[in-house]
Amino acid sequence: MRERLRSLDPRLLWVLLALMALGTLTLYSAGRNTPQAGIWLKQSLWNLLGFSLMVLLSAVDPRRVFRFSFPAYLLGLVALAAVLVVGRKIGGSTRWFVIAGQTFQPSELMKWVTLLYVSYRLGTRTAEAIGRMELLGIAGLVAFPMLLVQRQPDLGMALSFLPILLLIPLMKGLRMRWVLLLVVVAAVGGVGAWKFVLKPYQKQRVMIFLDPSADLQGKGYQVNQSRIAIGSGGLFGKGFTSGSQTQLNFLPVKTTDFAFSVWAEERGFLGVLFVLGLFGLLLSRLFDAAAEARTAAEAYFCAGAAAIFGLHLLVNVGMVAGALPNKGMVLPFFSAGGSSTLSFFLALGLVMGVLHRAKVK
Amino acid sequence: MDPHQRLLLQRRLGVFRTLAWGLVLMLGLIYAWLQLVRHAEFKQLALQQAVKVRPVPAPRGLVLDRNGYRLVDNRRALHLVIQREDLPSKPEVVEALAQALQVDPAALARKIQIYRAAGKGRPLVLKENMDESDIAVAERVRARFPFLSMEVAPRRVYLGDELAGHVLGYVGEVDEDLMKAKPGLYHLGETIGKDGYEASGNDRLKGIDGQKRILVDQLGQEVASFGQVDAIPGHTVFLTLDAGLQKVLQDAYVGEAGAAVVLDLRDGGVLAMYSSPSYDPNLFLNRLSQEMVDRYLRNPARPMINRAIQGIYAPGSTFKLLVALTALEKGVITPQTVIYCSGKKNFYGREFRCDKPTGHGALNLVQAIAQSCDVYFYTVASMLDIDDIYATAEKYGLTELTGIDLPREKRSRIPSRAWKAKASPRDPKWYAGETISVGIGQGAVGVTPLGLARFYALLATKGRLLTPHLFMGLRNDQTNALEPAPPSPSRETGLDPRLWSVLDEGLSEVVQSGTAAANPFVREIAKEIPFSGKTGTAQVATFVDRAHYARQAKHLKDHALFAGYAPREHPQIAFAVVVENAGFGSTAAAPIAAKLVQYWFVNRLKHPIPPPRGRLVDPFSPEPQEAK
Repeated sequence: MRERLRSLDPRLLWVLLALMALGTLTLYSAGRNTPQAGIWLKQSLWNLLGFSLMVLLSAVDPRRVFRFSFPAYLLGLVALAAVLVVGRKIGGSTRWFVIAGQTFQPSELMKWVTLLYVSYRLGTRTAEAIGRMELLGIAGLVAFPMLLVQRQPDLGMALSFLPILLLIPLMKGLRMRWVLLLVVVAAVGGVGAWKFVLKPYQKQRVMIFLDPSADLQGKGYQVNQSRIAIGSGGLFGKGFTSGSQTQLNFLPVKTTDFAFSVWAEERGFLGVLFVLGLFGLLLSRLFDAAAEARTAAEAYFCAGAAAIFGLHLLVNVGMVAGALPNKGMVLPFFSAGGSSTLSFFLALGLVMGVLHRAKVK
Repeated sequence: MDPHQRLLLQRRLGVFRTLAWGLVLMLGLIYAWLQLVRHAEFKQLALQQAVKVRPVPAPRGLVLDRNGYRLVDNRRALHLVIQREDLPSKPEVVEALAQALQVDPAALARKIQIYRAAGKGRPLVLKENMDESDIAVAERVRARFPFLSMEVAPRRVYLGDELAGHVLGYVGEVDEDLMKAKPGLYHLGETIGKDGYEASGNDRLKGIDGQKRILVDQLGQEVASFGQVDAIPGHTVFLTLDAGLQKVLQDAYVGEAGAAVVLDLRDGGVLAMYSSPSYDPNLFLNRLSQEMVDRYLRNPARPMINRAIQGIYAPGSTFKLLVALTALEKGVITPQTVIYCSGKKNFYGREFRCDKPTGHGALNLVQAIAQSCDVYFYTVASMLDIDDIYATAEKYGLTELTGIDLPREKRSRIPSRAWKAKASPRDPKWYAGETISVGIGQGAVGVTPLGLARFYALLATKGRLLTPHLFMGLRNDQTNALEPAPPSPSRETGLDPRLWSVLDEGLSEVVQSGTAAANPFVREIAKEIPFSGKTGTAQVATFVDRAHYARQAKHLKDHALFAGYAPREHPQIAFAVVVENAGFGSTAAAPIAAKLVQYWFVNRLKHPIPPPRGRLVDPFSPEPQEAK
């Protein structure tokens, strides 16, 4: 066991433990006096399970993991297709398998599997050896599961696949004409998405984002209440389990999407800075791992992981503050949820494996 | 990885790392903006939706009779309400709510609109005084519209039902017109007295609403309460009414219309006041049903009118005392003046008939009063000017409002030249023949039963003009101290004692040997408790339109009246009894007077009528009330 634990990176570990602890406290406060009073306990069990898987995975040589990436990717595609057919429909979307009473969201894990496979593909050859057609193929590898996820529909999750594409400039560098091309593609894609891909409720969210006060009782209500919670927290916060917005249930979906608002209300701006700092350290350590990695594939995976974590941070923390559209993207270690928690831990397990191998080399 | 590629990768990772910290910094700035710069604004918003000020309605004061029997009590009732800050704004929500409550959507929308503009404090009441089935419906509706809430509030209970409907009145929500007429005095949704003593004694009864600050959750449910300012309950009010005597009148009027008033000669307190048909105030606490509208508001018998203070009746022969007084004071007759009655007499070319077609023969004043001889009073009236009669009526208070503490009292109508000119612009001249009719209390003259009772109280007290009133005192619910009403104003009118003794003798003879003595029940009671009074039999007359009068008179029986006081020596009470379309005063009205005399002086002391319901509260040794 000692041997096992030695494979864990201490700097990443401390950040992780701190985030888990704060997230669990937040869930405890958010669940109080609601039917979800036990959610912190349930989430702790997921954390424990995830942590164990992380420890196990960190001891495995990443190269062995990469070897399974292609079958895993195929399996993931099958799972995403299958969930559309046999999945449980909750709140208008079909995102979940129900296994033994537990819901499981395959798209959470598929995101990481896609990153794993793309990293593997990119890492097998030198950057110069990869041509444009190959890059298009890579983009297709990302786009295909995205489209399947959007069929559920789940725009937030689909978008969280996008950071994987950041690996391309990481590998090939960035040229001005590429940036321009990206802008054009984004514009065309945006219009196309608005016309053909986005569901009405997703369009509504964008509209509400542009003018939140237009619909205070409906969709805008959530963000409005969240902003009140955050803003009223002030510098020091209202104190643990003492946030009026949280405890009187004005704050909606406070155990998942809006968990960070609970933290911001009860712990104030200082608490927010502390947690943002922890996330900054987390991202920073992931980039360390990418820089120290033995192989290109490992480096790509670590950098991609940082990008995905970064996107979750940006979208969730920005969304609850009303700075970004309200679409469900969870905040790692704060938002309750089994599939996402396990996925985050598995990814970090692989990153720890990378760091460990780099050290013992 | 070759060293060159690693170097390149690390350089690019450095850019990424910077971007990551930039992201953290940007998010930090967003939160600094919300939590530091705009903190006060959001703090205010958070407080606004979590802390609410809710009024605590003050229990309205109880109303007791003079012996401490409860006439009006409070019970707990459930109302379905919307708190002000929860008012729905979307038309589709209002419409769905109206459907669920089975009310007219337009009316509900209008109600909400008015309330939004003017409502203060009190919540908007959608359904009041709910019974069990209402509550079941409300619970179901509330599941769909969580902004609805249930409010427990005290509800009025009028214990005697119709016993004293007109005197007590009822309460209701203040209406828009009144709020517009007296801005700033009421708030929307406030419960106020609408009629009877509930209205006139509103300030004593209403108390002062308290308020509490409460913490509510997102559903608007109270989570905690702090900073409560207690409501100050209204005062418990004692009325001068005697519930038992009131019951005697109620029973006496079964199947009859009319009104009766009994006054306490010590201070003018109203011992009983009954107007028939009466109404049950309990039924007016809820919105009126169609059945109620038909039964009360559209009823040709007009049960909502308090006939005792709003009914104007020709006084008939009860008016002869005022005519006699006028003539005596003017000196046109003396008590010894004898006039011959042959059954009819001509005045100004028109024949006026006496009640007794064969004639009474020669009569002096006392005999004329006792026998109620019309010819005697025609003759006296012919010697008087109408303005003389008016002046006497004015001197003895018959032309003014009695000043009773009830709303919408009407003035008795005593004609004069000035009155005729005003009331009948087309034919403004007063004809001497009209004075002849007024001489026997017919024609243009009309009195309220209360005004008549007050005049007979004046005769009983040798000229003291009392102010009838209902308020006897109150018990201050803060201090539990009894506070008697200030003495009600009264004045001496300067009635000549020698003249008075003649009238007093006449009124005594009415009961002993005159018109009222014809009734065996009256004779029997008068044997035990000698009392005085005057019968009256009034034709329903309107002065302005004689043709109309003639047509009506065939179809309507006369009104029966009796006014007087008891006992004959040292009288204690005065009364007036009017029974509509019942025939002779001696057969229809005098027995009711005898009944109330019998109760007041005999039965009350031996077998008092038990109070309607409710426990006795002794006004002279107050004890704590039952738990509310």
